[in-house]
Amino acid sequence: MGVLLLDIVTTAAILFAVATGLMIILGVMKLINFAHGAFLTIGGYAAFVATALGWNPWLAIPFAALVGFLLGLVVELAIVRPLYTRPLDAILATWGLGIIIGQLITIGFGREVQFVQTPMTGAIDFLGQSYSTYRLVLIPLSAVIGIALTSLLYFTRFGLNARAVIMNEDLARGLGIDSTAVRLLTFGLGAALATMAGALITPLISVDPNLGLPWLVNSFMLVLVSGVSIPGLMMASLILGGAQVVVSTYVSPILGGLTIVVLAAFILRIRPRGLFGG
Amino acid sequence: MAEQAQGSSVGRAGTAGGRRSDIRSVLLGAGLAVVVLAVAPFVLDTYTVNILIRALLLAALALTVDILWGYTGILTFGQSAFFGIGAYACALIFTHAGFGAGWALAALAIGVLSAMAVGALVGWLAFYHGASPLYASIVTLALPIVLTQVVFAGGRFTGSSSGLSGFPTYYWSIEIWFWIAGGFLVLVTGLAWLFVRSDMGRVLIAIRENETRCAYLGIPVPRIKILLMAAAGGIGSIAGFGYAAFTNVVAPELTGFLLGTELLIWVALGGRGTLIGPVIGAMGIDLTSSYLSGSLPFYWKLLVGIAFVAVIVALPQGLMPIVTNLWRRLFAGSRRGRETITLAGVSSRSARERADRPLVVHGVERHFGSLNVLQGIDFEANEGELLSLVGPNGAGKTTLIRCLADGFERSGGEVTIFGQALGRWPPDRCVALGIGRKFQAANVFATLTVAECLRVARYRLERPSPWAREMVLRLPEAALRIVEETGLAAALDTEARHLSHGQKQALELAMVLALEPRIVLLDEPTAGLTRVERERIGSILTSLTERERLSILLVEHDLDFVREISSRVIVLHQGKIVLDGSVQEVIESDLVREIYAGSAQPGEEGPA
Amino acid sequence: MSGDRPVLEIQGLTSGYDEAIVVRGVSLSVAPGEIVALLGKNGMGKSTLLKTTMGFLPAREGRVVIQGQDVTGGPPHRIARNAISYTPQEQAIFQDLTVAENLRLGHPRSTWYDEELERIGTVFPFLRERVKQRAGTLSGGEQKMLLIARALMARPKLMLVDEITEGLQPSIIQRLAAALGGERERTGVSMLLVEQNVHFALSVADRWAVLKLGEIDDAGASDEPRVAARIADHLSV
Repeated sequence: MGVLLLDIVTTAAILFAVATGLMIILGVMKLINFAHGAFLTIGGYAAFVATALGWNPWLAIPFAALVGFLLGLVVELAIVRPLYTRPLDAILATWGLGIIIGQLITIGFGREVQFVQTPMTGAIDFLGQSYSTYRLVLIPLSAVIGIALTSLLYFTRFGLNARAVIMNEDLARGLGIDSTAVRLLTFGLGAALATMAGALITPLISVDPNLGLPWLVNSFMLVLVSGVSIPGLMMASLILGGAQVVVSTYVSPILGGLTIVVLAAFILRIRPRGLFGG
Repeated sequence: MAEQAQGSSVGRAGTAGGRRSDIRSVLLGAGLAVVVLAVAPFVLDTYTVNILIRALLLAALALTVDILWGYTGILTFGQSAFFGIGAYACALIFTHAGFGAGWALAALAIGVLSAMAVGALVGWLAFYHGASPLYASIVTLALPIVLTQVVFAGGRFTGSSSGLSGFPTYYWSIEIWFWIAGGFLVLVTGLAWLFVRSDMGRVLIAIRENETRCAYLGIPVPRIKILLMAAAGGIGSIAGFGYAAFTNVVAPELTGFLLGTELLIWVALGGRGTLIGPVIGAMGIDLTSSYLSGSLPFYWKLLVGIAFVAVIVALPQGLMPIVTNLWRRLFAGSRRGRETITLAGVSSRSARERADRPLVVHGVERHFGSLNVLQGIDFEANEGELLSLVGPNGAGKTTLIRCLADGFERSGGEVTIFGQALGRWPPDRCVALGIGRKFQAANVFATLTVAECLRVARYRLERPSPWAREMVLRLPEAALRIVEETGLAAALDTEARHLSHGQKQALELAMVLALEPRIVLLDEPTAGLTRVERERIGSILTSLTERERLSILLVEHDLDFVREISSRVIVLHQGKIVLDGSVQEVIESDLVREIYAGSAQPGEEGPA
Repeated sequence: MSGDRPVLEIQGLTSGYDEAIVVRGVSLSVAPGEIVALLGKNGMGKSTLLKTTMGFLPAREGRVVIQGQDVTGGPPHRIARNAISYTPQEQAIFQDLTVAENLRLGHPRSTWYDEELERIGTVFPFLRERVKQRAGTLSGGEQKMLLIARALMARPKLMLVDEITEGLQPSIIQRLAAALGGERERTGVSMLLVEQNVHFALSVADRWAVLKLGEIDDAGASDEPRVAARIADHLSV
């Protein structure tokens, strides 16, 4: 029981961390970034490179974020910007970008599975059973991401501008806010969050060129169910992630893998704006 | 402009009939394709023929994606699921049940029926009044993921991750398989070609261009999309069945999301909404992939990815239009002659007077969160009445119009049309009650011609043919009059996007009147029109109420226009009716003057 | 800055939506410290003129010159940064943001927020107490005052205000008139007010113009005799 509870909370923490980048881009830019999975992959390989260079494994996380941020800026300028008025095409173009990234990684690093050095090893005793320390550490780390993102959005001028653009872009522009710049930075931020999440999850899984793909669809569903808000995403991760753990444990791991997608599809049919959306 | 159109006598066909389809050119094209297919196995090496069979089947699958996405605007990630259903139906039955002609037919039928059922289920889930196009994509994304996992979960029955292979099948020669696959593709392409060029095909494009306008023309958009999804599923399933029977191998990847996205790539590169483009795209890319998978696998896929992104960003219509444009430039003479559409009058069938009052509005409310946009709206409209709704910006005029034509819009109260309560009816059912709504901004189908727009508007009264084009456009007198008086009659084969603003407004009005409505809701029909155009619309509206006894509800800013044509005026202010009376009463009302000119009117002299 | 160069000069402006032309060849200028009222019935092109001036709509013909600089065609945020505050008629407030956030958004960098808030508190005292309240929960009149307060946060040289008095009680209209007049006295800001309330417009503005079907139909100074009746004629039903 204790382990199940820990599984639920750690899974929710991981899902939350993985989905934030997608959410911030959707929230501010109304754009579904299907390259999100590829950004996670890049994060994984950034961590791989960092540890292969002999850096402290903890350094891999900010390094991955930096790589993601710079990449995000370039992608926004080159691919995303012309597609604001064509949201469905933007899904396709970012998906195409994901293919390009996947192939470049394959060409650069090979198809084989790589392993990244874990910043923390070992296990902690919890109610008589041992549990992976790193998984537990992901709980506070995800909380930090959530708090940092909330602070950025609610206590900085950039956040105020971004929220103004979300609510009424024309009004924001009329007040002198450069919404184009807000979008550029937001895409950079979203990409950075994705690559950082990729680096965070790699110690739990192996690294390969398709690392991000399975996470993409789940993140997408969670973000839609969340109603695109940070607390909403926390709740969605907890509820749907929890359901996934329960189904995987008691029914079958294969059906567990479907839980989020199927539940989300039905939830969105009943509440098109998500569980926590207005 | 108007005189010119009136002068050029528009032929009014007295005789019925005159349907045309592309059957002859399709037969010609199919014949050519069959010749190529017949010869190909003897010219090409076995390896090429082998991989071409797969490419031909996938091309048929890509074609269904083009119908759904390219023509109808449904971005589907899940078409691979139907391919997989067909393939697994074949593999499972041949492996576990038995093999033979009967079993083969049974497997094919089971595959097609299951695929159609799944397609209908997906459609039922994804397409409902008010659904966002994104939700359809979400469901089609979930579908292949779910199916793949189902295959995984099937253990030894489905072969799990390694799939099924080595089941008995027909070991015909490779030429036979090639001809079967090729014949299937030619058949599907030919039928699809007839379909998209038929009047029904125009309806698909109309849905893509403007789904809302379609719903308000009484077109049951969700039902059409569900049927389309089911049909596309059935065709995809046949292709999958053929693939499994030929290769003798099925694997979970066949149902997967990745194949689903690859289909989109082929269609996008080839050119969405062109049929031939996606076929060529699918075959070309699949064939090249097979050749290069040995030598340059990653670079080839990288190249496809780059081309895909470049096409989506810079050439959203894909590569096919470039080819066709080039063709046209080189062989300008061979372009098809324009088909002439003849206009014909048709007597309005709903012209009889009815016992009940056309429109009774009782206690209608509309809230957006805590904001009350409409409160306690009560009024009635009679036959032959031109009722104007006026009031300052934000008074709730457009919101009220919305509440009358869509049962989902109200927060409270009831709207009764000819004695029938609206309840929670979607717009297409409201149209059947006799409501026609014209939007504020001209809402026409940009890439359809004037004649096609009007034909689509006749959907409810004259069901369009799925394989042919009607050459006679029958319109009720009122719509015909607008078409003739505003110069549209001379522009029947002009695409709506090339019309002037005034003509677009007139076209939409004609489309609404083509519905033969008894109640017409008009939201600022004269916005942005010239004085002459305004006057013409005004005289048409008055004659509609006087001669045909329609009830017209008009939202209007231009008070001079209101004064000239209204028989009654309702003044809305801050979501409530503040006055309901004759034009004279409204002009003389101090309250109205206050609302319009500000609270403190100078006392020195009253307005003239 | 310099002498009598107009703060805003609109030259032969034609614009509209898609193919619909709503503003036809309008010329208009606003001198430093001057308040001009643009009157006219609904749908006559007043708001379109402001939107085109701010760069939200492209100009088909003509130019928009702000303090000697041609800004025709936007982008809006760059035009706004020339110390111009634009108050649209509809959806002008961020309903879900607090009063403080709305005010902060008045200036692109919120540099002088505290200082200005202090001063605006003397004009609209209620705002100071309610900075943490969600703007959407303010009454209609309070929201309009918040709009003017937000416009003042920019320390503007030119204010473009679209129908600020619509749906307001006379007492609140008076407060707004006083606030606008007082601000002009203090800072010499210029204003272009789009209005339907003739009385308010004449009490605040130095000059007026009536827009009819996208063209300037009549214009004059506010202190001419019988001017109110003349304008009322243009606006009557």
